[in-house]
Amino acid sequence: MRLIVHDLAEQEYNTWLKGFSRDTDEVIGEEETIRHCVGCFGCWVRTPGTCVLKDSYTHMGERLAACEEFVLITRNVYGGYSPFVCNVMNRTLPYILPYFITRNGETHHQQRYERQFRFTVHFYGEGMTGAECGTAQALVKANALNLDASDYSVSFHDSVHSLKEVQ
Amino acid sequence: MRIALVNGSPKGKSSNSGVLLEKLKPLISEGNELSPYRVNVKPLKPEQYRELNEADVLVLAFPLYFDAVPSHLLRMMVEMEEFRQQKPGNPDLTVYALINNGFYEGHQCTIAADIVRNWCSRCGFRFGMAVGHGAGEMLSSLSRVPLGKGPMKNLGRALDQLSGAILTRSSRDSLFIQPNFPRIAWRLSATYSFWHPQAKKNGLRPKELRKQPFSGEL
Repeated sequence: MRLIVHDLAEQEYNTWLKGFSRDTDEVIGEEETIRHCVGCFGCWVRTPGTCVLKDSYTHMGERLAACEEFVLITRNVYGGYSPFVCNVMNRTLPYILPYFITRNGETHHQQRYERQFRFTVHFYGEGMTGAECGTAQALVKANALNLDASDYSVSFHDSVHSLKEVQ
Repeated sequence: MRIALVNGSPKGKSSNSGVLLEKLKPLISEGNELSPYRVNVKPLKPEQYRELNEADVLVLAFPLYFDAVPSHLLRMMVEMEEFRQQKPGNPDLTVYALINNGFYEGHQCTIAADIVRNWCSRCGFRFGMAVGHGAGEMLSSLSRVPLGKGPMKNLGRALDQLSGAILTRSSRDSLFIQPNFPRIAWRLSATYSFWHPQAKKNGLRPKELRKQPFSGEL
């Protein structure tokens, strides 16, 4: 199963990307209000593995643990994800453990689950600068390391339409 | 000059970003007007965007979330860019970033600093420099240690550089530092002095922190 998180309006997704997702995929768009992670660490020390904020994104940790591929479709915003996709990403904190390990000489989090997923990110937007693309590449690589993804890929698209070709 | 100090911690109470700003304040206060702002889950008001847009210096202090800027602060940055497109504001506004991360190594703040730099390019701000500090969760317990002493030695040096850049509104190389405290001691204290007592406070045993709510069944 693929877990696809995107920041497109519902109609836009249906028009351009309906063929992108398959019946078995879980698709998360900005259809309901999402709360911001408040850095309370409740998902680590109160209800381990589950966020304490009550909304439709409470179970992002479990949903991430259930997927084989984690796909983000996001506008490139200053070399990172768009606010909604970033918000969903922040809410996946319960997927990992508070404890640390040293990997490649750096501190990272230990994994809550033994399984791994592939991490695929499609950035779109007109006029992305070289600096924004470089930062975005580095961000996905760093996130893949922290989430212990089995592998990762990053691609850039001038428009959402071109995503149709990579499904 | 007017310096806007933006605390971008989502926490409602005291925060590590707040500790860093408090350490910076005395170094830049003389002859300048310091204006504090708090960006958390509550958005800024239109008049606050106007004030930020007209400031001479903006210092953004925030915690690292997933190697980047936390989503509530990112929303504010996007709003600010839109505001700037409508009202040009101060053409010489210079931005400095003060980032803290939960890992040990300060250099893990590099990508977030680049995001702030890219935001400056989009908004027509000047990017001054960033200071990225590791072991951010230690900051509150070290808040009474004088800058430049013991575990705050590196932070003291970095804030000297940062305040020097702010006072001259110049750009300098960013600095990524960690406390003068051994990594292994920091890691052990995180487990035994922070996570385990927190678990106990919530009636959980340490091994329950490893709970896996997803059982493998869909």
